[in-house]
Amino acid sequence: MQGRRKIIASLVFLFFLHVAILFAGFVASCDPATQNREFPFAPPTHLHFVDVRGGLHFRPFVYPIVSQPGALYQYEETRERAYAVRLFVRGPEYKVAGLFSSRLHLFGVDPPAQIFLAGTDNYGRDQFSRILFGGQMSLAAGLLATGISLFLGLIVGCIAGFYGKWIDESVMRLVELFMVLPWLYLLLAVRSFLPLHLTPAQTFFLLIGVIGTIGWARPARLIRGVVLSARSRKYVMASRGFGASDLYIVRRHVLPHTYGVLLTQAALLVPQYIVAEVTMSFFGLGLSEPRPSWGNLLAVLQQYNVVVSYWWMFAPALALVLVNIGYLGVANAFHEQLQSGSM
Amino acid sequence: MKYLQRRLAHSILLLISASVFCFLLSDLAPGSFFDEMKLNPQISAGTVAALRSEYGLDQALPVRYGLWVKSVLRGEWGYSFAYNSPVRSLLIIRARNTLLLTSLAMLLAWLTALPLGVWIASRPGRWDDRLSMAGTSWLLAVPELVLALGLLYVVIRTRALPAGGMVSVRFENLSLRAKICDLSAHLVVPLTVLVLASLPILVRHVRASMTEVLQAPFIQAACGHGIGQTRLLFRYALPAAANPLISLLGLSVAGLMSGSLLVEVITGWPGLGPLLLEASMSRDLYVVVGVVMASTVFMILGSLLADVMLVIFDPRVRAD
Amino acid sequence: MGIETAVQPAIKPALVKTSGLSKKYSQGSPFSRKKFAVDALVDVNFEIASGCLTALVGESGSGKSTLAVCLAMLEKPDAGEVWFGGEEISRRSDRELASLRPKIQMVFQDSAEALNPRFSAAQIIAEPLAIQRCRSLKQLRTRACELMEEVGLCADWADRRPLQFSGGQRQRLAIARAIALKPSFLILDESLSGLDLSTQAQILNLLLDLQTAHGLTYLLISHDFSLVGQVADFVAVMHKGRIVEHGARWQVIGNPQHDQTRRLLDSVHVMGRSFQAAHGGRQR
Repeated sequence: MQGRRKIIASLVFLFFLHVAILFAGFVASCDPATQNREFPFAPPTHLHFVDVRGGLHFRPFVYPIVSQPGALYQYEETRERAYAVRLFVRGPEYKVAGLFSSRLHLFGVDPPAQIFLAGTDNYGRDQFSRILFGGQMSLAAGLLATGISLFLGLIVGCIAGFYGKWIDESVMRLVELFMVLPWLYLLLAVRSFLPLHLTPAQTFFLLIGVIGTIGWARPARLIRGVVLSARSRKYVMASRGFGASDLYIVRRHVLPHTYGVLLTQAALLVPQYIVAEVTMSFFGLGLSEPRPSWGNLLAVLQQYNVVVSYWWMFAPALALVLVNIGYLGVANAFHEQLQSGSM
Repeated sequence: MKYLQRRLAHSILLLISASVFCFLLSDLAPGSFFDEMKLNPQISAGTVAALRSEYGLDQALPVRYGLWVKSVLRGEWGYSFAYNSPVRSLLIIRARNTLLLTSLAMLLAWLTALPLGVWIASRPGRWDDRLSMAGTSWLLAVPELVLALGLLYVVIRTRALPAGGMVSVRFENLSLRAKICDLSAHLVVPLTVLVLASLPILVRHVRASMTEVLQAPFIQAACGHGIGQTRLLFRYALPAAANPLISLLGLSVAGLMSGSLLVEVITGWPGLGPLLLEASMSRDLYVVVGVVMASTVFMILGSLLADVMLVIFDPRVRAD
Repeated sequence: MGIETAVQPAIKPALVKTSGLSKKYSQGSPFSRKKFAVDALVDVNFEIASGCLTALVGESGSGKSTLAVCLAMLEKPDAGEVWFGGEEISRRSDRELASLRPKIQMVFQDSAEALNPRFSAAQIIAEPLAIQRCRSLKQLRTRACELMEEVGLCADWADRRPLQFSGGQRQRLAIARAIALKPSFLILDESLSGLDLSTQAQILNLLLDLQTAHGLTYLLISHDFSLVGQVADFVAVMHKGRIVEHGARWQVIGNPQHDQTRRLLDSVHVMGRSFQAAHGGRQR
């Protein structure tokens, strides 16, 4: 029971994270591409609960900022008028899942005040919005690439485990080969052998394809093990005696055993592949400007002055860590369930 | 000994298949290697044609592979057009740096993880066990990228250590002792990131393996004989738990290599990582192939090391 | 229908016949140099009389299970032939064998692997019918319940999982599954091993009742001579892949010709002599 509760807790956490990112347009207060040239590298907006007269408010409010004259990227608040943070405001238009558009945002403030929950970058773009929209790309990359790896692994593992003998031997040698090449080296090498100048959409799908395809080896080996053990069971032999076809046996007797392995592998691979996409975009070999992705958001940290002065640019890293925590929690819980045999 | 011979033969076979794979991959790349070169105005068409025939690019695939293998064995590993130098000299220096970093990281990681894991396994259910499990979970959730950036941030803000590179500018002029200090100071950041990144998995595996062994009857018997705690843990339990850990060692080299690529790029450590990255971006074919083969060699060496350790620590393998 | 081995009593028609059956198993992968072959079956010439219970006895590793799977058409022998009802079956393709499969069924030893733990009892019993596409879904369940009743299980338990049954009940399930397709030949591979004596007796009675009701031919494989001595009409003894003795029960037990037979008889718990005296003289 304890294990099941853990799974549910982790899944709920992940669910909310994904929903927030899926509805990035709603949760974010600004458009990620809008540049506020007056506020480059603005720090995260202070949320105040106590006003100048010392009164306490439940609803937080903000003061508009102006840049300090004479100093570069320094701001101060003008305390003339407080702007309350309101929920469900109308703001810039966005599209939900590319289907329908809306102007409703979760929170916001009236102009001229701005609310930058995670500060701005050198073009004055709201980092919080960019993190949410970047999350869409990074999460999608991780999920799709995992789907590819698991699909390939399932097919190859089933064939190798089911038909055995020399097919199995050859597949296992191939698996060994792929596991002896360090994955990031392999990823970079394969990426380098493919065309460099592509449209963003092509880059995205190419990246997903490459990450997913080179990761087939470990799932394939695990699935093959499961298939081998399932295939040797007496009830499979009995089914053969009833005249069952190979497909029937795989479908009814073998596949159900793979679900546990597939789920655990999925929970482990998704964060790994997200990190892979982030790494590639960080290097500049993945998604590039202006499309945000956690990788290219973090890439700006390769500049010395940014690392020293603008600590809020680390925010995408926090998002990445949160996603990892969610998925690893699920993976752990699944693993424990598998061990205890209830899957 | 027979076991080692078999493993050596197996490793060589693996190396050969890796080379075939690399070669095939580079060959199947859309656009020939020389397309980018042709766009370079500094290189004449005649040079391109001459290079093509010299590298035998007009001939059939197996022939090309054979030529490539022959030249590799001769010590000619191709030419880098981005760096304008033979691949061999580039590769050797960078590989040495990466080897230094990764072997030190592996040593430190295991030297930390073993005592930690053993100690935690000997006190199950106590506060330090739960603390370590929670700690490793949190550490696992932080990807190496974030660790490296975070550590760099700390180092830059506190100015305690150099923030990148391998050696200072004045390295050549320093005394031997100062040289070692300088190198070590530069090693701290990349080493810490790599060790922190590998630690959670290692500690967990050591703990799991030791926990299983500690439940075995022969441990209880030894306890009953009055053997002291430390001796019991390290001379009796650990060798029995060593097998899966040694295989883990062989496998952990993979993660370490990929991690070191990232760390080298971020901290500016001049190893194989930054070399591969630049070569990928400029499609410097022979460098890419050379680096991938070098990293594969390291991996294979790592797993061979694990096999040697297995022979040393497990008498059952020796009897085989 | 010449028979090479020991003298047979009143001739009953042979349902299953093998001649020169051989099978090797090789260990080691196709790519490794070390390969050693195990001779599971060596030149087996064997007959199983129709409508009777033939017992196959031998120690573990003597090749009994290999012979069983070859007879059940689950594996192809390396050499030799298998005849069923006058037709040669070992050289046929899978498609040609499909129509024959319902006629030969196997019941295995009770273990975690014998029945799929995720299936319900009704699903297990109805599986052969579903595979052969005999009936609609509703009819499958009705038929499964009928079969459960026939083997002595309560039909209300149709939705229980195998682990919720006892060992003896699981074997009843396995038997119900085996007779679902109305076979004429049933191979019982150590089906009574691992059960306590009273359960063994019950299952044995069930099997004998079914044999009378459906005119089944049984091949009972066992390492337990005492069990065999109670029910078999004919006994065959296997040793290292060969049939070393074969004949009517009273003959093999009362007058064992081969060393191996004698050794097996001596190992039965009841003293060898008294055992022979108790069973050797009786005919069925």
